[in-house]
Amino acid sequence: MTTYMDIISIFILITSFALVASKKITSYIKAFRIQSALLAMALAVMGYFHFVESGRIDTLVLCALIIALKVVYFPKLLNKTYDRVEHKVEKDFFMNIPMLILLCSGIVIFVYFIISGIGSFGNEDVTMQVVNMVSVVLIGVFFMITRKKAIGQIVGFLVVENGIFGAVMFGAEGMPLIVDIGIFIDLITGILIMGLMVFKINDLFDSINTNKLRRLKG
Amino acid sequence: MSFIYLAVPLAAVVLSFLIKNRKAIYGVVILSSLITMLLTLWLTYVNVSGGGNGLVLTMGILYIDSFSIIVLDIITILGFFIHIYSAGYIERDYISGKIDEKQVKLYFILMNAFVFTMLVSVSVKNVGILWVAIEATTLASVFLVGFYNKRESLEAAWKYIIICSVGIALAFLGIVFLHLSSTGVIASPSQVLNFTDLTVLAKGLDSSVLKFAFIFILLGFGTKVGLAPMHTWLPAAHSQAPSPVSAMLSGVLLNSAMYGIIRTMTIVNVNLGSNVFTGRLMIFFGLLSIAIAAIVILTQKDYKSLLAYSSIEHMGVIALAAGFFTPASLFAALLHMINHSFTKSMLFLSTGNILQKYHTTNISRIKGILKVLPVSGTVFIVGLLAIAGTPPFGIFSCEWNILTAVFSGKHYIIGSVTAVLLAVVFAGIVHCVFKMFFGEPPSEVESGEDRIAGTAVIVVLLIIVAALGLFMPDAAINLLNNAQAIISGGVC
Amino acid sequence: MGYIIIQLVLMVGLAPLINGIIKKVKAFSQKRKGAPILQMYYDIGKLLKKEMVVSETSSWIYKAAPYVVFGSTAAAALLVPAVTNAGGLNAAFSGGDVLVLLYTLALGRFFLMLAGLDTGSTFGGMGSSREGMISSLMEPSILIGLFTLGLASGSLSIKMIMSESLSKVCPIADPVYIIIFFVLVIVLLAETCRIPVDDPATHLELTMVHEAMILEYSGRQLALMELAAAVKQLILMTLIVNIFFPITAVLPAGVPGVAIMIILYIVRIVLLAVVIGVVEVCIVKLRFFSIPNLAALSFILAIIGFVNYFVIGR
Repeated sequence: MTTYMDIISIFILITSFALVASKKITSYIKAFRIQSALLAMALAVMGYFHFVESGRIDTLVLCALIIALKVVYFPKLLNKTYDRVEHKVEKDFFMNIPMLILLCSGIVIFVYFIISGIGSFGNEDVTMQVVNMVSVVLIGVFFMITRKKAIGQIVGFLVVENGIFGAVMFGAEGMPLIVDIGIFIDLITGILIMGLMVFKINDLFDSINTNKLRRLKG
Repeated sequence: MSFIYLAVPLAAVVLSFLIKNRKAIYGVVILSSLITMLLTLWLTYVNVSGGGNGLVLTMGILYIDSFSIIVLDIITILGFFIHIYSAGYIERDYISGKIDEKQVKLYFILMNAFVFTMLVSVSVKNVGILWVAIEATTLASVFLVGFYNKRESLEAAWKYIIICSVGIALAFLGIVFLHLSSTGVIASPSQVLNFTDLTVLAKGLDSSVLKFAFIFILLGFGTKVGLAPMHTWLPAAHSQAPSPVSAMLSGVLLNSAMYGIIRTMTIVNVNLGSNVFTGRLMIFFGLLSIAIAAIVILTQKDYKSLLAYSSIEHMGVIALAAGFFTPASLFAALLHMINHSFTKSMLFLSTGNILQKYHTTNISRIKGILKVLPVSGTVFIVGLLAIAGTPPFGIFSCEWNILTAVFSGKHYIIGSVTAVLLAVVFAGIVHCVFKMFFGEPPSEVESGEDRIAGTAVIVVLLIIVAALGLFMPDAAINLLNNAQAIISGGVC
Repeated sequence: MGYIIIQLVLMVGLAPLINGIIKKVKAFSQKRKGAPILQMYYDIGKLLKKEMVVSETSSWIYKAAPYVVFGSTAAAALLVPAVTNAGGLNAAFSGGDVLVLLYTLALGRFFLMLAGLDTGSTFGGMGSSREGMISSLMEPSILIGLFTLGLASGSLSIKMIMSESLSKVCPIADPVYIIIFFVLVIVLLAETCRIPVDDPATHLELTMVHEAMILEYSGRQLALMELAAAVKQLILMTLIVNIFFPITAVLPAGVPGVAIMIILYIVRIVLLAVVIGVVEVCIVKLRFFSIPNLAALSFILAIIGFVNYFVIGR
């Protein structure tokens, strides 16, 4: 069980690298989808154990939610948005890819040192998973900084969310259900609003490059 | 039943969705905000007259104590005034053809949803739900920021949602660590993440994980509070939103996020047995915010951004005061929260009047406000003096109290740096803004106050602000003392 | 002595077969019958009989290179025990160090590159420069990957690394091992000039790397070069097979045990060769300037494995 979770958490980390390494919008949407599917796989196994041990079904519910939203709905929504707004292919990142990847590996090492500095989490088994998930969060933030396209920033935000959700599941086996549901409602509304704003930005600026948004300074 | 006030804004959301008539919507929202205000004022009365440390109300995850009451009152009282003002402001925008009927509806739906989320955020005891509510405030208000659908407002809204969502996401990571630190200490699932239980059990939490949690929560909620260097969304959003929305964001929203920080700070401080760790972080971010705001205010060209930076500065002051964590400084921080909210809302509302006359936010293109708008202009100039920290207004006495608390704690360097920076802010505000009031107004601007209700609101707010500086009823002092005791971690 | 003989015969004798199997798998995927599996043996046999043509402008390096390349590769082959679980066979052999293995192979590569440059032809120079680039990009990841395994076993000796994984129930299920496995697979594909990096089947001048360097060779020297490349490939495959998929069953001592182990070793290697063939069929060749991305990927995998080893190790 622990080994399985370890491996899944490593794969989730690797998909976030795949995300940073991908050039096209469609390919990083795909990377995000794979990452969510991995998260759902972890949840499915965890949910099965919860169900067998104590009859709790909340983890399975969350797993279903993740599959419905993050594996199916959000990627579809983003692809649709992308189809409707993007007229030309432009370079989407500020630095070249090996450089980005090296910086991200620096992030992983940094997180490792920080977390190993705070000692134990009560449960030794989860330390590695927490390190990986916190790295995913920071890589997601980094991804948002380095992409110019509005859609890239939405995907980055979703990855941050995935990382945090992973940290919750791996580290603490879930929050109270009401909190989880609240998070999901917030997430859906947030993504819908962001998607809508991409259209508006495209209408007003004729592009979804957020580095054109620089009228307001100081 | 005490929590019925939560239902009122929700009802207002539904009603403004259903009602077709524009004027009727105005009536409904003003009435609902009045009811909400009266309900919370009644709760305040119950709390204060409860004696001792004030009454604590709980129902499931809902929870109210003296500290929540203070923020709750700020939200509902200002909510009431801002709704009255909004009705006139939006009506005028509608008449001048800037917006259509659908947008009027949208405005009030979102505004009430915004108020609702803020009310939820301060009336729960589960940190997870607190987080959900604060994230929801962003979502409810993002279209209000981008309300006019212009390039600038859209840019501001995009910055707002992206930066705040990410910041808030980091705060959630902090909450995860808070949860991790309590594994093994928590007895039943219903106690998970409840700050009341966590404060009681604080001694047993894992300190190192808790420290980590606090850093993330401070960064995350600090983004929402507008602490430097995560403040970049704030001037953009505040300067582009319609004026009543700016008043809501600046005067009310920032407090809810600050509330989240202070709640977790209590747990960490009780756990560590001292305020050294949290204090250093809070003082660092506080000072940095004051410093950055001071520098930017000196060269500001847009009066709404100037007010936004002034909010950053005051949030910095509150963070600094809360960081010292002595009874005196906490008392001053809470009082400062109240004073700043009222003063800043009043200022933003008066900029609404100015903006609708001059149609620009550029300082250099505005002249002779006092001639064009005698009442709003006077309120604005007095309000600016108040926000910059002139006696006899409340802000001055708070800042004085905070500095006294800092110096009596023998932190001479921090105290003198703060004092110098506050002086720079004062100079900056006077230097930038005061030329707007005098001189000959441009010929195309016709003089005279238009909206009686809107002007009346800001005058009433001015009276409240002046009164806050001059005297404090015993009941209010009791309330603040109780809140201060709760934050210090003594009682729950 | 027995160990050295068996090891050498096994490695050098088996290497051409592996090439044949990979080619056969690819032929099947294209609905061709393909060359016979033993084709490379025939090629080498034929080349050994033919006379050599040596360029007039070349120096002694050109003539010495095939022997150095083959010699160093054969020496490297001795450092990687193929038969790990047969009690007593390689007990006397203390095992080569990871660093010795890598730099013995690097010596061969160095001479290969020099030989490519030596004749002064355009293709040779191009191939050498590409080979230099690829190998320098791949070196950090293979070093970090093998070091991580070394940390896990407490020694940099290849034999100790292999016996560490013998002591595990299922090493590939260990998160660190699974990561390093992918690192080594990427390194294997890059170092042996397989598809995402180079296409061994073409002589298209714009893409080739390894073939470009040995373009001038003929006869016996070409045979040695080809054989050395095949042996190098088998060395890396042996590493993968014995570290990640060891046979942990207890076998009878003496000759029967050794025989069973050798057979099992050959079976595993053949399976891996089939997998490599399938992988090669499934992916397309990368643009040359995308290779740093592949290298970055394997490097980051190695780093993740390294960091995660520390996390678990505590």
